[in-house]
Amino acid sequence: MAHITINQYLQQVYEAIDNHDGSFCAELLSFKHAHVANPRLQLSSPEEKCQQVLEVPYDEMVAAHLRCTYAVSNHDFVEAYKCQTLVVQSFLRAFQSHKEENWALPVMFAVTLDLRIFANNAEQQLLKKGKGKQGDMLEKAAELLMGCFRVCASDNRAGIDDSKKWGMLFLINQLFKIYFKINKLHLCKPLIRAIDSSNLKDDYSMAQRVTYKYYVGRKAMFDSDYKPAEEYLSFSFQHCHRSSQRNKRMILIYLLPVKMLLGHMPSHQLLRKYDLMQFADVTKAVSEGNLLLLNEALAKHETFFIRCGIFLILEKLKIITYRNLFKKVYQLLKTHQLPLDAFLVALKMMQVDEVDIDEVQCILANLICEGHIKGYISHQHQKLVVSKANPFPPLSSSS
Amino acid sequence: MNNRASRRISYSRRGHAVEREWRQKHNQGQWREAQETIEEEKKQDPVPRGTCLCMCPARELQRREAQNLLHRFEVLAGSEKDRRPRADPLRVVKEYARPAAGKDSTRPTDLRPPAVLLKTVCYLIDNIATSPTLQPWIDVYDFVFDRLRSVRQDMIIQRVSGPDCVAILERIVRFLIYASYRLCGEPLRLYDPRINDIHLQESLSWLLECYTRGQHPNQEEFQALSLLYNLGSGRATQHTMELPERIRSSSVVCLALSLSRAFMERNPVRLLRLARKLDFLQSCALHRHLQACRRDLLLIYSHGHSSRNCHFPLHKLADLLALDVRLTTCLCQAYGVVIIRDAVVFSKTSFTEPDVGRLQCPNFHELVENKQSGLTIGGIIHGCA
Repeated sequence: MAHITINQYLQQVYEAIDNHDGSFCAELLSFKHAHVANPRLQLSSPEEKCQQVLEVPYDEMVAAHLRCTYAVSNHDFVEAYKCQTLVVQSFLRAFQSHKEENWALPVMFAVTLDLRIFANNAEQQLLKKGKGKQGDMLEKAAELLMGCFRVCASDNRAGIDDSKKWGMLFLINQLFKIYFKINKLHLCKPLIRAIDSSNLKDDYSMAQRVTYKYYVGRKAMFDSDYKPAEEYLSFSFQHCHRSSQRNKRMILIYLLPVKMLLGHMPSHQLLRKYDLMQFADVTKAVSEGNLLLLNEALAKHETFFIRCGIFLILEKLKIITYRNLFKKVYQLLKTHQLPLDAFLVALKMMQVDEVDIDEVQCILANLICEGHIKGYISHQHQKLVVSKANPFPPLSSSS
Repeated sequence: MNNRASRRISYSRRGHAVEREWRQKHNQGQWREAQETIEEEKKQDPVPRGTCLCMCPARELQRREAQNLLHRFEVLAGSEKDRRPRADPLRVVKEYARPAAGKDSTRPTDLRPPAVLLKTVCYLIDNIATSPTLQPWIDVYDFVFDRLRSVRQDMIIQRVSGPDCVAILERIVRFLIYASYRLCGEPLRLYDPRINDIHLQESLSWLLECYTRGQHPNQEEFQALSLLYNLGSGRATQHTMELPERIRSSSVVCLALSLSRAFMERNPVRLLRLARKLDFLQSCALHRHLQACRRDLLLIYSHGHSSRNCHFPLHKLADLLALDVRLTTCLCQAYGVVIIRDAVVFSKTSFTEPDVGRLQCPNFHELVENKQSGLTIGGIIHGCA
């Protein structure tokens, strides 16, 4: 296969299309397949050859693909991206003309995946030369993917087995990857709506669903909807294939902070297993109510947390840390009427700067408001009066 | 063809895409457009270069004079009362015109080069925005807002970048931030905060994007303003966190980050305290969050101090809210918080959200207002305050 001639290759493509053999056709157009490394196929102008064997628009699609292999062999990703755009465009024309059949879905998966990858590479290449703007190429690729998505989503005539709708989730995942990369999360919303209202949503392949839930979970997290975020990310983590350790680790990076915020601390063992020891001190600090250690831990791994986009949510753990710290004060003093001064002392011990009794009241009031403490503050007596029964309800039950 | 090109540029230039824009973009014939894009790029994408050396292109000046479409700030002194007032060439400024089909907005004679654009912005600030004689200020705002918009449009068409672009955007951002405070509470038909906000966000994100290339002396100031204006936005905070250490550790950005943290932790006491350290323009940027912040404080305290026997001194609450006793009373009443003589009696059940429009934000401007003394509008917008 790796050393076939152009005529042999074209013949294979012809037969794959003729037999509606989607998976084989996909292989012949995919950059995951060995033929792309075959120098005999890397041609700068294969148009004529393709026209002789293939029909419109398949000839254009394959010609663009071969030009793309040529560009890639020259490490010219800008050109490769342009060619791949043409591949997807010609594919889309053919795909639209396939009435009530969906055999070409594997081809769509292959060519759109490569489109996104080349857009990414092209952008990197341009940026290195100081040209172009971050996100431009990816945005254009996203537009084209949306074109494919519309064809799939609007396929209402075909029966369930022949429906192009089976392609929706794959495209959505590709689009999510782009939108997360270029920081345009608001564009995810209509896509999520499309899947929510789809009756196929639970029938897509598990791999696609795992990816989908991972992104939807991150999106929910970004919108501060922590409960749904936990659900989505947990699903993703539990169903992610056990051999995909890297992916499981990526899911955990987001699942851990959400879990922690809801009061579930990860075990040391889990952190070690997935090489996420950056979270170890954070976990320790939060459960001990050690604000000082929390700040240190956040500062120490700041770059990592910021890069993952979870620094802000980890900062929110402060509120829980306050709760745990104040619970300790309560346990030490063994009374239901706690002087506010005691909390001030505790905060000062944790080196919270410029803190005074007014702020102590504010922090306590906030904890009461959020349901982390049951009680009230008496300003006249400068005391926190806590409930005799369960003054610090367990975290997982509150909020 | 040119027209289409300009439209495309203006899309990609815009920093944040709203959903509407997304739809427009995605509804256009995908295939055709991508094809055209490639063709255009083959022609090396000729970017128009303006040649108009006045604030207003001659053609527009003549047309508006003939059609009696001059703004009163543009009319030649002495001819105001004429049936058809004449244009004062030194005061006419190119107005904003929506891009439309069949209209060529890339004609070099209609476009002003960057230096002229900067001069135009300075004219708008020094001679219009600061003018003691031009009244009322809402008209001034209307005029300056529109003309600044056309400045931005000229920049987009010519793809202006570099120091001139930054200098212009910085002034536009300062103007819009100042206006968001000064015109707060004006009737909606005169001033729409949403529209001001859209333009401010667009200019701001364009400016922040310019900062990613090269050195810029005012960068810290605007990173801080951006964060304060967008307090509580995950995206703005994340952006600030990702700034280079040198910028992030500057005192202005640090202060803004502390405020942002206080906001995220829902600690209005700390937030309002830190707010006193801000300068005037920073306070203007923060101003739209103050109402929510004071509401939070009353809500939290209503829960935290909820006990019938407890009394909270009114003057103490006023102090925390950064208001005087009269306004504190007024605010408490609006939120259903009970005051008995000099004491506040918080109760989580009596806290209620006020009716829309009950609280007039401008009545609560003191925290910001106090900082304006001794400053001129020109100084504020030029950044030499």
